[in-house]
Amino acid sequence: MATIASSYNPREIDNTNDIPGRRAPLITGNQTYSSVTEMVCRVAEDPQPKIWWLLFGFSTTTALMFVGLIGYLIYKGVGIWGNMNPVFWAWPIVNFVFWVGIGHAGTLISAILFLFRQNWRTSINRAAEAMTIFAVVCAGIYPGIHVGRAWLAFWLLPYPSLNLWMWPQFRSPLLWDVFAVGTYASTSLVFWYMGMIPDLATYRDRSKHPFRRMIYGVLCLGWTGSSRHWLVYEKAYTLLAALAAPLVLSVHTVVSFDFAVSQLPGWHTTIFPPYFVAGAIFSGFAMVVTLLVPMRKIYKLENLITLRHLDNMNKIILATGSLVGLAYGTEFFMAWYSGNQYEGFTFINRAFGPYWWAYWIMVTCNVISPQLFWFKWFRTNLVAMWVVSIFVNIGMWFERFVITVTSLSRDFLPSSWGYYRPTMFDGLMFFGSFGVFLTLFLLFCRYLPTIAISEVKGVMSSSEHAEHVQAELLGHAHGDDHGSHGHGHVSHGHS
Amino acid sequence: MSEQKPRKAAEPKPPRSCGWMAEFSNEHDLLEASRKVRDAGYTKTDAFTPFPVHGIDEALGIKPTILPFIVLCAGLTGLFTALLMQWWMNGVDYKYIISAKPFGITPASIPVGFELTILFSAFTSVLGMLGLNGLPRFSNAIFTNPRFDRATDDKFFLYVDSRDRYYNRDSVRELLGSTQPESLDEVLEDASPTTLPRPIWLASLLLVLAGLIPAAIVLNMRAGFSDLPRWHVFFDMDFQPKKKPQQTTTIFADGRSMRPQVPGTVARGQLTEQDPFYLGWDPDKKVSAIDGEPKHFVSVQGGGQDAAVGAASPAPQDSATPTQPPADGAAAPMQPPADGGTAPALDLPWLERFPFEPSDADLKLGKTKFEIYCSACHGYSGYGDGLVSKRAASLLQDTWTPPTSLHADRVQKQPVGQIFHTISKGQGKMASYASSLTPKERWAIVLYVKALQRSRNAKIDDIPVEQRSNLTETK
Repeated sequence: MATIASSYNPREIDNTNDIPGRRAPLITGNQTYSSVTEMVCRVAEDPQPKIWWLLFGFSTTTALMFVGLIGYLIYKGVGIWGNMNPVFWAWPIVNFVFWVGIGHAGTLISAILFLFRQNWRTSINRAAEAMTIFAVVCAGIYPGIHVGRAWLAFWLLPYPSLNLWMWPQFRSPLLWDVFAVGTYASTSLVFWYMGMIPDLATYRDRSKHPFRRMIYGVLCLGWTGSSRHWLVYEKAYTLLAALAAPLVLSVHTVVSFDFAVSQLPGWHTTIFPPYFVAGAIFSGFAMVVTLLVPMRKIYKLENLITLRHLDNMNKIILATGSLVGLAYGTEFFMAWYSGNQYEGFTFINRAFGPYWWAYWIMVTCNVISPQLFWFKWFRTNLVAMWVVSIFVNIGMWFERFVITVTSLSRDFLPSSWGYYRPTMFDGLMFFGSFGVFLTLFLLFCRYLPTIAISEVKGVMSSSEHAEHVQAELLGHAHGDDHGSHGHGHVSHGHS
Repeated sequence: MSEQKPRKAAEPKPPRSCGWMAEFSNEHDLLEASRKVRDAGYTKTDAFTPFPVHGIDEALGIKPTILPFIVLCAGLTGLFTALLMQWWMNGVDYKYIISAKPFGITPASIPVGFELTILFSAFTSVLGMLGLNGLPRFSNAIFTNPRFDRATDDKFFLYVDSRDRYYNRDSVRELLGSTQPESLDEVLEDASPTTLPRPIWLASLLLVLAGLIPAAIVLNMRAGFSDLPRWHVFFDMDFQPKKKPQQTTTIFADGRSMRPQVPGTVARGQLTEQDPFYLGWDPDKKVSAIDGEPKHFVSVQGGGQDAAVGAASPAPQDSATPTQPPADGAAAPMQPPADGGTAPALDLPWLERFPFEPSDADLKLGKTKFEIYCSACHGYSGYGDGLVSKRAASLLQDTWTPPTSLHADRVQKQPVGQIFHTISKGQGKMASYASSLTPKERWAIVLYVKALQRSRNAKIDDIPVEQRSNLTETK
């Protein structure tokens, strides 16, 4: 089995072609069920590569710095940030929206692509879901510490405060946010965990050490692979997907309500929900590409996360990036067409005011850079797509910065205008949240199944000629997994 | 076709047989064998596969799950929970008045209603899946066979349980053997202990107990009592660098944190304080000043004319029986003996005349208001024998200071402005009535008090001649 990785040769087969009838296979390298198991389990079973330790050392240091800074913030107060009249919603909210947005790709891949029967999701959904959870963890930190008295952050919940006996105000979008992000985080967590149960059982059954076997045994809840269990499991998975799909759309919709329900020019627009959701998917997919391109290389998973997967993701980045560009244009059009002088001023101010640099970074990264993905070379070149995905991440952060800061710094009254400047703590804490994110992701690679093994096998088996699967997966005659055969089950279809 | 019974040799008594398990290398052989087993009438069967094999439900005769209905119920529960919660919390228990929006269920309730529907449904999907599958289940006989480890890798197992109605050890073995499995094993009872190892059990218990410590501390502090100062984990805003009234400061030369009014200015909302109608005295008449401040300011702060209540002599307590009008100047024993001369009496340019033309209506108003507000203590006729006074005198004989009789010589001599001032600002135990009575009503009471005083000290000459015949002699 040690030769699986070395057998990968990107030139050997191009599985990114779209010619009907010549659809290339989803996974390459002549895989069998056991070789897939071997390939994925080895990620956690083999000693971690040097680069893992390097990254882990770096990320834990950064995460610890973040924890220390949060402690200092609680001790000293939010005054250590640059938040100052009139911009009280500055980087903490920008970072919150940034991370929540990134957290949209995982559940989108798991739920919506599942409902659309996009089989290619099976190789990437687990890592994307993990990324979702970790991004939501990072996002959740910011409102918690931005409330000022962080030790009373639990007042966000419907809890009658001991001194006043009053309840939260349910007409506030900030409260909807608590429910939306809370539901999203917990639902994504159980979705992720439930998806992992069969793979954790695989980890358990391959464990040599009794302690390791016990830990994975407890984590997989005694999963046996019973068909009676599988049937209920698949039903539950389908239900979760059907529930999570509207949930994904609702979460960033509610996040956008934080802005759109207010009266501020530049925020008070009905385009915000779809615009935010498109941006969230855009940034989430970019982050998945950012993580998976190095991960498949480090762990030699190129046969499972193939160029075709990356190609498909890049197409989604192109589509959502163009949607976001359209939204920027629509906003400008509406600012002019509405005839509202405040709205008009806000948008002129965004593009040509004191924050012009942020606006044009945003447009360059979010609208222009993904247009490169019209060209197949960019979609299939690892370095190029990685660079573009980084650009998109930067651009999406600046989008939230532009929305939040430009509208707040110059609203109705010129006498209360101001210019926002972050402090060192703003920067270090944002940097630190990446440390938390990366630490969690590296631990995930180290201990948990990074690829949905059972789902990949389910896709491999989506053929009546299963005895020939292993031999024919590479062949064009069989590799075409159009829906002409099989039993009409959910994980079957074309990609 | 190796029959592996790994634990059999080790056990003194042969473990019970749970059933037979056949192994296949691909899902198609498994499906074929499953159909065979199903057609033979076995129902307590199962297949173990590394991924969901499609068609196995039909091949084994597995009924569809009721999970979707459970999830539907959970979703509806979530929706109604959210709506009820919002209606009760914001519409009943703690009403928020926001932009004149209606209370209860409004479009603003939709987001939370949606989220809780999803939340309840999602958790029910997962927990329902585990519940219907009987998971977690850590002790399972099929795990005794090491070959079974590959059920989560690349092998497919078909299992017939010994609890099946038609189960017969040999016939099941024969039937499964006829499906040409890769191996055929008898599944034996798991003889290993099913309880949690003691160290793990103890460690979990300790962890749970340790987890309760912070909650116990918080509860103790919330519910208990302590003489010690509050323990400030977080200072919140308990210690603020600010000055409160009556504190000292080094910032100002006079050392007072409260700042006196700048001379010659009128504070916001206090313009009426320049009007004799609201004051009972005339601020335009020159008031002698001390240290640049109006004298009245100092004297009011200094206790006003409290001492006047004390009057001349500390009268013996028994002199004033509750039923009789107390003598003028019955002083409380707590008060230092003082006469009008020692304590600074208010020396203000009191109005001698009403600042308006009194009418019969004013007198009637004064009577009404006097009987509502004043008579409780001062009595209907003003002798200080009101019900409250009588009751208080009987309960607190030593400490109760009876209200001043309005017919005392000293009060009779007071100008109308001074009586008005007493009603407005209060005196001694008497509170200010400025918040209960408008200035006009206070003046009306003064008018009535003056009439009352006159009536109680009237001479026969005060009565018009034509009405004198109405008088009847009383003792």
